[in-house]
Amino acid sequence: MSTTTTGIDFRTEQSSSLSAKLGRFLSQRSEARGLILLALVAIVTVIFEPGVFSAWPATLSRIALIGLVALGLTVVILMGELDLSVASTYAMCGVVMASFDNLWLGIAVALVVGIIVGVINAFFVVGVGLNSFIATLGMLFFLRGLGFVLSDEEPVRIANADAAIQFGRSFGKITDTNIPVIGQLNAKMVIFLLTFIAIQIYVTRVRSGRELYAVGGNRQAARDAGIPVTRRIFSGFMICGFVAAGAGVINVLERTAADPTAGGDVLLQSFAAAIIGGIALTGGRGSVLGTLIGAAALGMMQVALTRSGVEPDVQNIIIGGVLLLAVTTDPDTLRSVWGSVRSRRLAATTGGRQTAT
Amino acid sequence: MSVASADVVAAPAKRSPSAFLPWLADNGVFVFTAVLIVFAGLFVDGFASLDNMTTVLNRVTPIGIVAVGMTFVVISANYLDLSVVAQVATSGVIFIGVSNRTSIFVAILLAIVVALIYGLVNGIAVGVFKANAVIVTLSTTFIGLGVLRWLSGGSVYFSERPIIETIGTAKILSVPVAMILLFLIALLMSFVLNRTTFGFTIKSFGSNPDATRLAGVRTSRVVIGAFTVSALGAMVAGFVLAARSQTAVSAMSDGYDFQALAAIIVGGTSVFGGKGSVLRTLLGVIFISVLTNIMVLSNWGFGLQQMAIGALIVAAVSVDALARRASTS
Repeated sequence: MSTTTTGIDFRTEQSSSLSAKLGRFLSQRSEARGLILLALVAIVTVIFEPGVFSAWPATLSRIALIGLVALGLTVVILMGELDLSVASTYAMCGVVMASFDNLWLGIAVALVVGIIVGVINAFFVVGVGLNSFIATLGMLFFLRGLGFVLSDEEPVRIANADAAIQFGRSFGKITDTNIPVIGQLNAKMVIFLLTFIAIQIYVTRVRSGRELYAVGGNRQAARDAGIPVTRRIFSGFMICGFVAAGAGVINVLERTAADPTAGGDVLLQSFAAAIIGGIALTGGRGSVLGTLIGAAALGMMQVALTRSGVEPDVQNIIIGGVLLLAVTTDPDTLRSVWGSVRSRRLAATTGGRQTAT
Repeated sequence: MSVASADVVAAPAKRSPSAFLPWLADNGVFVFTAVLIVFAGLFVDGFASLDNMTTVLNRVTPIGIVAVGMTFVVISANYLDLSVVAQVATSGVIFIGVSNRTSIFVAILLAIVVALIYGLVNGIAVGVFKANAVIVTLSTTFIGLGVLRWLSGGSVYFSERPIIETIGTAKILSVPVAMILLFLIALLMSFVLNRTTFGFTIKSFGSNPDATRLAGVRTSRVVIGAFTVSALGAMVAGFVLAARSQTAVSAMSDGYDFQALAAIIVGGTSVFGGKGSVLRTLLGVIFISVLTNIMVLSNWGFGLQQMAIGALIVAAVSVDALARRASTS
């Protein structure tokens, strides 16, 4: 036990009061931040815009599409990498799908293309040794351009819109997102929830999924522990590309036309959802559940803001502010910042030697 | 003129194949830019005309100023500064809008304050709170553009001060004043980067943040400094851009963030930080502007252009990464 001139060493004296427990929960669980925001948004919404709750299918629908991309992103970020190309994968795969006469074939090809994008990204990161930020940034441009080229710079109508609607009917009308499939949930939300469950199980129960945390936390140690890091990185990017492509496909099915400029907000919002949910961009920390919470908080906030007539520009300010706040309030860094501030103050006041905590 | 100081430890002059990649990473931009210009002059219709050259040079100037400033951020291993988009537009709108109401002097003062705020916010978030620079600057871009659009209502501002037009279109010996300004700024930045302690700490922080911190440097100040330089660069670019057309609107700086980054990367500054120079960034800007010009003259659509830029970025960084491998193996 150390002694300092400022009193209690809060590491060794752990009170079990509610506030202390809450403090520990907040600093240890990565989802804590997202939960706080969700609670705040929920409270404010209940007071000012209760309509958001009564119209909850619409809110959930809003959450679903962005949340889907965010889920895939979560997998990549957990590994300690970034994937900026998701926005372009989203748009381009939509274009690919719409270019086929046969709807099923189009969807299948689009999803495969998404996987291929993941493979290419992983190749640059692992094979060439590029920083994933730059590699996926380059792909963001390249794929966006490709989407434009494939679509001749115009939105592409689904060749067979009727088939799309038929397909939708057989599954409960995917193309019309207001019509429910299971209970009150429409197909988009069902797919989102299924994807969430799948990825959550993979990352928490399946061995190769759990190893992603190790890959992100300390890559060299993971390698030394025998984890096939290269293979994991490939699978991570492939999952992300697949999910982004899927989201793009759903988007096109909804609108019955593929727009190569789609995905403008996707990048910001999916990163925001993941970060609010507690993901550490350095990797190895965070949870898929957190991303779900983050997407929920973000979606609810957006719907509430829109319903209360807040202008899009002000909405952007708020989302930007929330994101900034979220990304600077990582419990670990806050602790170390606070620690260095404390030690500097100590050195100033005691002047002489102090025992380190 | 020692602007072109090589900021890289010279590789031994052996003639083995593994020395080619490092050489390419360091000097490629010089060679490629020269080759590109010659190629364009000979084979691309309409390139070698005075009109076209003026267009290219005009394009180069504001992006060049932004890129030169942002180089500091990249060298400090903080990825990039996305908020330049918001900053250039804000500075331009302030320059025209505020000078219409009061005076140019007040406008410039206000713009400086805004730039310092951006530098502080970005710098503190990244330097003190150790947050990821991409996300931080992405969020400040959204906040900044949101504030700008909200306050300006998206309207276009037309300058009512004739002196702005004079500045914007002035030429000395038929070289636009803006270009001379670019050169002066590049010289100044290069001096700061290579001959001052501040510049040295930026480079050392970029290549080894822990060693820099242990050496007693207040790393948070380094990062704040880097983002402030970037902000000031964006501010001046906003002035230049607004003065040229005597108008300003919130969308005027679209795409500046990635174009500047592309220029910096193509110029040979490493995203990993620690290494780079202002001269290279300038060349990178010229290269990309010439390339874009060639594509436009050859009627390449937006899609193909984006593909080319994306491929170029990946190629440039790959050469850098492979060169690193070659020189350490």
